[in-house]
Amino acid sequence: MEHNESANITRKAPAMRRRWGMAIDLDKCTGCGNCAIACAQENNMPIFKDDSDLPKRVTFLDLMKVTNDRDAQYPNVHVAYIPKMCQQCEGNDPSDPKPPCVSVCPVVATDVGDDGVVSQVWSRCIGCRYCQSSCPYEARAFNWWKPRNEGRFQESLNPDVSIASRGTVVKCTFCSHIWKRERDKAVANGELDINAVLYTPACVASCPTGAMVFGDLNDPNSEVSRLSRDRRAFRLVHTIDEKPADEQKRLRGIKNYPNPKVYYLTSQQWIRDMQRFR
Amino acid sequence: MKKIDRKDFLTLTGGAVVGGLTGTVFSGAPFDALQWLVEWTQDQHRPPVGREHFIRTVCDQCRDRCELSIRMSDDRAVMVQTSNTACPLGQNALQLLYHSERIQQPLKRDGRKGSGRWTPVSWDQALTDIAAKVREKAQANKRHLIAGISREYNLSSALLDRLVAALGSRNSYYEATLESLTTAALGGVPQYDFENTDYILSFGARILEGWGQPNSILKAFKGWKERGTRFVMAETNMSRTASLADEWVPVKPGTELFLALGIAYVLVREKGRNSAGTGFAGWVTYINDFTPEQVAGITGVSAEKIREIADAFSRAARPVAVCGRGIRGISSSAAEITAVYALNSLVNTRAASLSQFAGLGNPPMSQEASQSYDANEAKRGLDEFIKDGNFELVFINGANPLHRSVYGENLKAKLENAFVVSVMPLVNDTALYSDYILPSLSFLETRTSAGDAVTTPYGQSRPAGQALLDLAAKIDEVRGAFPWGGFAELVGNAPAMRPAGNFAFNNEALKSQITLLKKLISEDRNYPLSLIPCEHPLVGDGDGLAFPYVLKNIDNYTYSLGKLWVLINRQTADAEGVSEGERIDIESSRGEIGSVRAHLTDTVAPGVVAIPLGFGQRANTKYAEDKGVNPKEIMSAEIDPLTGCADWWLTRVKID
Amino acid sequence: MKKIIDYLKNEFNSYSRNIRIALVVLCALVGLFIIFGIQILFWGLGYTDMSNLYPFGQWIIGDLGLVALGGGAFTTGFFLYIFRVEKLEPIINSTVLIGFMCYLFTLVFLVFDIGQPIRAWFGYTYPNWGPHLMPQSMLTEVVWCLTLYFCILFIELIPLPLKHKVLDKIPALHYIGHYMHKLMWIMAAAGTFLSFFHQGSLGGGMWGVLYAKPVWFDPMYFFWVIPAAMGGGTSFMLLCAYIAGKVMKKEVVPIETFHTLARISGVMLIIFLVTNAIHVYTQATIYVPAADRRYVDIFGGYYGLWMVVIEFLFTIAAIVFLNLKKFREQERFFLAGISLGALGVAMSKCTVVLHGSSVPNFPWRPFIGYNPTIQEWSVFLGGLATMVLIYMWAAKYLPLFPHLHKHENEEH
Repeated sequence: MEHNESANITRKAPAMRRRWGMAIDLDKCTGCGNCAIACAQENNMPIFKDDSDLPKRVTFLDLMKVTNDRDAQYPNVHVAYIPKMCQQCEGNDPSDPKPPCVSVCPVVATDVGDDGVVSQVWSRCIGCRYCQSSCPYEARAFNWWKPRNEGRFQESLNPDVSIASRGTVVKCTFCSHIWKRERDKAVANGELDINAVLYTPACVASCPTGAMVFGDLNDPNSEVSRLSRDRRAFRLVHTIDEKPADEQKRLRGIKNYPNPKVYYLTSQQWIRDMQRFR
Repeated sequence: MKKIDRKDFLTLTGGAVVGGLTGTVFSGAPFDALQWLVEWTQDQHRPPVGREHFIRTVCDQCRDRCELSIRMSDDRAVMVQTSNTACPLGQNALQLLYHSERIQQPLKRDGRKGSGRWTPVSWDQALTDIAAKVREKAQANKRHLIAGISREYNLSSALLDRLVAALGSRNSYYEATLESLTTAALGGVPQYDFENTDYILSFGARILEGWGQPNSILKAFKGWKERGTRFVMAETNMSRTASLADEWVPVKPGTELFLALGIAYVLVREKGRNSAGTGFAGWVTYINDFTPEQVAGITGVSAEKIREIADAFSRAARPVAVCGRGIRGISSSAAEITAVYALNSLVNTRAASLSQFAGLGNPPMSQEASQSYDANEAKRGLDEFIKDGNFELVFINGANPLHRSVYGENLKAKLENAFVVSVMPLVNDTALYSDYILPSLSFLETRTSAGDAVTTPYGQSRPAGQALLDLAAKIDEVRGAFPWGGFAELVGNAPAMRPAGNFAFNNEALKSQITLLKKLISEDRNYPLSLIPCEHPLVGDGDGLAFPYVLKNIDNYTYSLGKLWVLINRQTADAEGVSEGERIDIESSRGEIGSVRAHLTDTVAPGVVAIPLGFGQRANTKYAEDKGVNPKEIMSAEIDPLTGCADWWLTRVKID
Repeated sequence: MKKIIDYLKNEFNSYSRNIRIALVVLCALVGLFIIFGIQILFWGLGYTDMSNLYPFGQWIIGDLGLVALGGGAFTTGFFLYIFRVEKLEPIINSTVLIGFMCYLFTLVFLVFDIGQPIRAWFGYTYPNWGPHLMPQSMLTEVVWCLTLYFCILFIELIPLPLKHKVLDKIPALHYIGHYMHKLMWIMAAAGTFLSFFHQGSLGGGMWGVLYAKPVWFDPMYFFWVIPAAMGGGTSFMLLCAYIAGKVMKKEVVPIETFHTLARISGVMLIIFLVTNAIHVYTQATIYVPAADRRYVDIFGGYYGLWMVVIEFLFTIAAIVFLNLKKFREQERFFLAGISLGALGVAMSKCTVVLHGSSVPNFPWRPFIGYNPTIQEWSVFLGGLATMVLIYMWAAKYLPLFPHLHKHENEEH
């Protein structure tokens, strides 16, 4: 993709240590839902009797069912599942990431780290939901009810993730607690450069077909970086990517674009077509 | 002493206040208070931290036997680390292990059947009571009225089969699964070499969405593109599997069988292929009616396309034709299973073979048991048994026929009048009608071939097989048939699959069935629409709904805000006057299910209503309880002459 | 206890029938406000119809509306104290009180709207100041500006109770009240400055910075919200005083005051109309297309384009009625003008929130509808009812309308 020519991007100050990104090959995704379950398990998702109440439930990874029945008629139809988590937007300038949700937080509960991951401090959040409004990917969830893991479900809680209070916004952080865990282990093993440590988020680790790839977009040799430059790559409803380079430049002059760090790959034109509002 | 006047008093008070305030500020107390306030308002719960370690185990939920690594925090299992293996069945294991509604100890019914009121009792009391009931039936010469119903083939169901047989009854049944249906129709379970095949022709089997042994299929799927494997999917509605296929062949509802027969016609009549199956000569005679041209009229697939598929199939090196419509809830007629498997034998492929479950063999029987065993015939399958059979004492081993069988209502009536013993970890719809529930374990709590159990068993639960062994030990007559020291001893030598013999065409049964199916797919003026199931991969045919993380991932056009959604083709909805999101009732000749919401989409064929399976359960924990409706209540109930199970895939319906 | 009940009974019975009905309804709403307010504060926002897909609802409309309409207070103060338009003197007490209550209830609604009210003060202790002097989050700015402006309004309000018959007799308080009134221009100037600031932020900057949301993003937002508050707010101030006069069946404010403020309102509404038109134009032609979407698709969705149309029709009608002398001086058209002016501005806030949240983010998702629950309605209407009750109380017991007292004194 045109805008991504300079893959090796460093932040002005302080330097970007990592630029974690993800690539999801929709040609390999069968929509089995393993990633969603693994994510819920790893991140201690609250449990409610009626979690099929879609608009108010708390999930970090939403397996969106997408069809092209808007554009086509039977039998020229297709179905795909798009696993959607926080897309870790960075705005127009990757060296100075400006996700749409970070600047709006009145209490600095959310920030973007030097690894490019948009964090969320659950105990700082006052629950104004401004970040949720600003998010174009519906990636943030609000705890409308007090998060509960009733009875024995508490026994399976992951000690690395705390349970948020009622009335706070929570989100996917690319399982950055796993990175912390891995780095802690590295330190314990005498490793000095903790930023050299790699890790795999729970969803990626659980994918049975290897459709999800995770890594450092700053490292031009990483698989995710290679995939992000693949001609099959696209980003969710980020149709500016499809425009000619000079037009892109003009548009980026007008306004910021989310520029998410999650890339999707497909050989199916209809999935690309469905990214565009008609 | 000078009298303190007003001015002095004010000065002193003021000084004291200022001094006190300064002192308080400099003592740090306000800052401590603020700190406390901050912490108090930032309240959050951190789960207890323990020593991290990993335990290896083996998932026992399908024949794949995936190796899992469980991340532990002290003795709590906190994550299924899969390292690119296993499917949602394995990922859900922790939710079963730590389910808030796990049964802690044996439960005895208290109050009316179905009321869900139980009294906890000891294992000894429960087993003694059940053994007494069993002996009572045996003494009253009612051995043939003892039955066992299992969910699927595994070690505990083999033990149950053996127990029922040792008591002199042939009534061992399995719910309609891919394994049980194919075993009944073909004499074995088809094993497909998805890893090495170069041409896959699926007849409604949604093989990429959790069908069969999901993990091995998905692993093989990774390599299909590279190896140039061609995948052709014949299915009525567009599913993810069909979308991932190289080619989707849309067929009219319920006509997969006829497509298979049409392809067989081309292979036999135009390409001169032969099958080694017993009775092939007889089968060939009624292929004659299914020329590609005729099949084109029935299925809506053009004659050229049929010839093209047949040609590609016959020229492939290791093709497979896959039968078994659906994901977890499988419904295919014996005629269809036979016809599709016949394609494999017609091209003599090496990528498909039949194998059988070995079981534990026939038990030694007492004379009375032996007499009873010989004198009575078994029904052909579970649905037939529920509909026409009789029982007074039944063991339910993890099964849920009350919800999953189209004869659920009949079964309910019969369970009310029988002595019912359920062995399962969670109370499901069928267990609601039990007299005793014996709590069983998840695989994380039992010894597997990978080694010791991951965690200690919950409460007094025992492995299902152990519960049956313990019961057998209390019945003098059958004690001898169970010589094993315990379930753990058996686990190591679990019965493996063994190759089945050549398959046979059961022509008489198949012929009548084909005529019947032809009638079913023809137009019906009273019921102009076709009802076809569409499963949500995580829900399957109902088991998944007990898991809250499955609920979290149900999309808005399957079940949302208390309503089940059905999918209707746009044109059809227009003709029926149904608009997006409208509430409709669906009626078949068997009855009516009410109040589902309609989503209009062209991913379903014209004239088709697609409805998700697995919803509308009465129990199976509060997470599954009372969510949506169960379409099985109105689905076709014609019993298959070979499998003895209803073929419910296609139902003629109308909507209000 | 019995005394209190008797007193309340007598007090209640001293009113006319219509007022009694109004009092009962208002008190009932306040009762519901208390009941459901407790429910919301203690058991959370699950009881609202807001959701992860529709995070901002009725209370945000209330906040935006109150801040905009309360902006009439700073406008009136600005013209009275800075430009010395002395004709506005008789209405200033009323506007300051309304402005004060509008900001007070904005804060009240905000407290209900955030999920963690006990952390509400984090906005002061952990403000999101950006790299420069300007706060980075518009909400940080809103919190600070609202608080400061709220304090200013509070100070502006002090002379009002001090003029009460009893308090006025105490010499010290009389002089404090007198000199505070003289120095009020400082407060007015500071209030104007802060008001400009947060009108821009809560009204406009709040939405204009959401660059990933084509339904909101438009840098012009910032500029049309200030005239909206000045025009719509002054209309609202007129409307309140007008209704008070009708209810009390007295001339509470001289007619010249009404007409002077109506002219100011009319001129401000013209500026609002122009800036709003520019806003719609830039959004429709530059910013929405830049996100590869179409303006009519976004604003023609679930709630329909008619909301935008009505916003403009109301404003135009108000401009005609308030700026042309022959309409302004007919009571019917005057009333229509000030009502439509306030409604037009309120409508623009509804459009922002209702459309904004209902627009799907993904092409395969439908538009979302929003039906506020009883809890939301109770808190919203109960809040407004409380404001009305306070206003009624002030009108009866405080010198809210000095003109009225002057009049009464003359009669005696």
